[in-house]
Amino acid sequence: MNWTLALPEITLSILAMAILLFGVLRRGESFSVCSMLTLGALLIGAVLVIGQARGFAFNGQYVVDPFAVFAKLLILAGAALALVSAQDYNREEGLARFEYPVLMLLAVVGMLAMVSANNFMSLYLALELQSLALYVLAAFARDELRSAEAGLKYFVLGALASGLLLYGISLVYGFSGTFDFAALAHLLSDPSHASAGLIVGMVFVIAGLAFKISAVPFHMWTPDVYEGAPTPVTAFLGTAPKVAAIVLLLRVMFVPFGHLTSQWTQIFEFVSIASMILGSLAAIGQTSIKRLMAYSSIGHMGYALIGLTVGTVDGLRGVLIYMVTYVFMSAGTFACLIAMRRRGRALEKISDLAGLARTDGGMALALAIFMFSMAGIPPLSGFFGKLYVFLAAVRAGYWTLAIIGVLTSVVGAYYYLRVIKVMYFDDPAPAFDRRPVGLSFVLGVGAVVTTFFFVFPAPIVGAAQAAAAALFG
Amino acid sequence: MIVAFFFYVFAAILLVSAAAVVSSRNPVHSVLFLILAFFNAAALFLIAGAEFLAMILLIVYVGAVAVLFLFVVMMLDVNFAELRGGFQRYLPIGATVGVVLLVELALVLGGWKFAPDAMSLRFAPVPEATHNTAALGDLIYTQYVFLFQAAGLVLLVAMIGAIVLTLRDRQTSRHQSIERQHARRPADTLAMVSVPLGVGMAEVSVPPPPAPPARRLAHADGHADGHADPHDAGAAHGGGHHDGGGH
Amino acid sequence: MSGFLATPVGTVILTVAEALAIVVPVLLMMAYLTYAERKVLAAMQLRRGPNVVGPFGLWQPFADALKMLTKETVIPSGANRFLFFLAPMLTFGLAVIAWAVIPVNEGWAIANINVGVLYLFAISSLGVYGIIIAGWASNSKYAFLGALRSAAQMVSYEVSIGFVIVTVLLCVGSLNLTDVVLAQRHVWFCIPLFPMFIVFFISGLAETNRAPFDLAEGESEIVAGFMVEYSAMAFALFFLGEYTNMILISAMTTILFLGGWLSPIPFAPFTHLGPLWFILKVSVLLFCFFWVRATFPRYRYDQLMRLGWKVFLPLSLIWLVLTAGALELFGWLPHA
Repeated sequence: MNWTLALPEITLSILAMAILLFGVLRRGESFSVCSMLTLGALLIGAVLVIGQARGFAFNGQYVVDPFAVFAKLLILAGAALALVSAQDYNREEGLARFEYPVLMLLAVVGMLAMVSANNFMSLYLALELQSLALYVLAAFARDELRSAEAGLKYFVLGALASGLLLYGISLVYGFSGTFDFAALAHLLSDPSHASAGLIVGMVFVIAGLAFKISAVPFHMWTPDVYEGAPTPVTAFLGTAPKVAAIVLLLRVMFVPFGHLTSQWTQIFEFVSIASMILGSLAAIGQTSIKRLMAYSSIGHMGYALIGLTVGTVDGLRGVLIYMVTYVFMSAGTFACLIAMRRRGRALEKISDLAGLARTDGGMALALAIFMFSMAGIPPLSGFFGKLYVFLAAVRAGYWTLAIIGVLTSVVGAYYYLRVIKVMYFDDPAPAFDRRPVGLSFVLGVGAVVTTFFFVFPAPIVGAAQAAAAALFG
Repeated sequence: MIVAFFFYVFAAILLVSAAAVVSSRNPVHSVLFLILAFFNAAALFLIAGAEFLAMILLIVYVGAVAVLFLFVVMMLDVNFAELRGGFQRYLPIGATVGVVLLVELALVLGGWKFAPDAMSLRFAPVPEATHNTAALGDLIYTQYVFLFQAAGLVLLVAMIGAIVLTLRDRQTSRHQSIERQHARRPADTLAMVSVPLGVGMAEVSVPPPPAPPARRLAHADGHADGHADPHDAGAAHGGGHHDGGGH
Repeated sequence: MSGFLATPVGTVILTVAEALAIVVPVLLMMAYLTYAERKVLAAMQLRRGPNVVGPFGLWQPFADALKMLTKETVIPSGANRFLFFLAPMLTFGLAVIAWAVIPVNEGWAIANINVGVLYLFAISSLGVYGIIIAGWASNSKYAFLGALRSAAQMVSYEVSIGFVIVTVLLCVGSLNLTDVVLAQRHVWFCIPLFPMFIVFFISGLAETNRAPFDLAEGESEIVAGFMVEYSAMAFALFFLGEYTNMILISAMTTILFLGGWLSPIPFAPFTHLGPLWFILKVSVLLFCFFWVRATFPRYRYDQLMRLGWKVFLPLSLIWLVLTAGALELFGWLPHA
């Protein structure tokens, strides 16, 4: 029983419970203290993840490989940025309750367990742990109708997706007699075992997981939840969980179903194309910047899925790099969104950004960087993210995907550039409230990573390469 | 023979009560039928030799979950006619989904064949000599301890979520501090004064009671006093026939 | 003879005889429990208690029973007739079937099943149904309030009872009640697990809806709660069920903590008196039930919940962890 491998998850769960107890027993406001403690916990988690030995634990239900470590670090970074940007917003909006960081920490535990899942049961439980915490967070502003609605919608649809996933898992189990990824891979290496029922099960599993990354036929919840949830929660939803879900999807597709590539490639080809098209077209008419980001995230998932569809080490590496760039630009963008407050009230219309360049040049510049990056303008990081997946697609001969990807990027550039146009060329609206330090920090980190990614991409590309290679074994 | 007979009895009651759960008009009856179904399922477990599962089913589902269920159903004023309207409207879709799932299930059962090495991949079944309960314990707490703990965390999150989303700490509500009540001594609040006859309050120098320590002590005491009522009036009547019952 | 007993018919007859052999004494004990309660309470309140019917009032229980039988059964209008009558039967039936696994002496149990402790726990956790169904079926607000109080109360206290039982099971290594008793040959569990013993006894009071936790009846606020609408035999069944449950909880406490039929005096003539020791221990516990009733005022509802969730639950959890730790640390874990 090699339980020390799961030390990051175990430590973080214990710390989450300790922080919870601390928050409950301490009189008075403890949001800030608990947030600081949670940040510390995330840092400890990162240290433990880096120091993690590689291998399998708990009878193969849990795995640590470079792939998992890469994703875990990204998740921890995304969560930390989201938590930092939540600080002042939550205090202003009356959401400064200590459960917020605790729930985030527990969600992070779920995500870490997700990327380390090597068994359908641990996959499911980890996914539920993460989702349940996110449902609650989405409804965290419980007195606000929109937030409660977002939470409920997310919960009901999420439960439906979990049902699909579970049904798929049960079919897979029914036809193979095992939950274990490695055993399934072994079993399916003989094509005669890939019975119709097992493939139906796999499709259900894909559907359930596609919901979690909000890829197209299962994307309906995204705009409403993004819009309704408190903005810091949206910032969290848009970063770490996406990484965890897509990494989980990669593992499920490549490890247990690695021999069924011919079966699932077409599914992902469709999902990817549909996500890219919908993401770029539906975003055009949006006036709320939160909804815009929702559609943008759908589109980004479409691009990331190109790498999965391609099904090569290159493609995988592309997905991982894409996720790195995506996390940082999203975190930065959402920090800008959170900073959009005027006279103590949160704003979310694109038109509220009018003339930001003249009232707050720094923020306008940062947001412009993120928008350019999301549109894929070189030399910003978003360009490299797209470059690596398109490159993989071209190399593997998926010309259609690459071409559609480029075309939708051009369409998508329209609405990203519209935001920039509003900021720089429209008549200025009254200035926003002073930006808190935490948000400036997140903005800065996001902008620096996004801008200077091209200067030293080597460590990240190298790590992604190693991670991708590890998954292929 | 007897076992087979009881199997069919329990299985038949289980099926009938399961059908009654969905078909009965009164939601409370539905829950009661559900409980009956649980009971029979437990009996079937017993027949199958899974005594531990049978008891756990009773304790967890019948003893706890269904009680809360019944509780809620009794408290809520569920308008069943309205629910039924929705039911009929969505019947075609529901039926389609149900049929699809049923076909798939049939597919699984029909196509159920273990791959040759699938059997060997499963964890070794429990040796005959091991006790049923011990075998389950070994699986849950040793083999699958990771999953067990993860499930525990999921429940913790559910609990935190329920509290976060519903608990409202009313500032006006007054809490009882049992520790403070226990720590309270008569000397803190009482002063014994012997008042001579015919002397007004003005002439008697009543020492002011010591200032109440900290917050609204007087209030908390009010609680305590109000409930230190003399025990059961019922007990005082010798001829009562029941401890709290019908006088 | 033994050949006949092995046939199916013989087995049925034997089982029925065994059941009667335990149910009849239990019912008799229950009848005199009511008498004892009134005498004890009277003595504590400087009264005489029942002393008219028969010598020292000894026939009083039978007089009461006769009275109950001859009274009119009143069914409230708007009551759900089936459930209205199901509830008392359920209460009484559950109180009686639990006795199937109680070992009064070594090998003196109708069913010596492997999961006896769980069976008892399951049956005692079902007791709430009689009350909740009665409360609902009576179509009366007092009855319903009583039922709600009782449901919340019993579910709450079951949690700590569960942990206490788990603690005992850790020390025994078996779910069989006979094994539980035999594991106490050297020391009764009420000594090493003293806090758990207290928690169990108090939770037992709550589980049987006895004073000071009799909020479900609370005659001064909700005029007898869930059984306000019951009369005659239906009422008598509740009454029987409640007292049988008291005996049952005492028997459980005896088995789990007081060494069951084991003799406290470890030599010859005394060690052969198993059932007598058992009855004696149960009686002492029952006396404590009365004693508590005569001494303590009724708990208020929030105090009751506080005690259950904020005191007993953490206490039993901590003790459980301590026990498990100690057993593991000193290598005292029993092997099943």
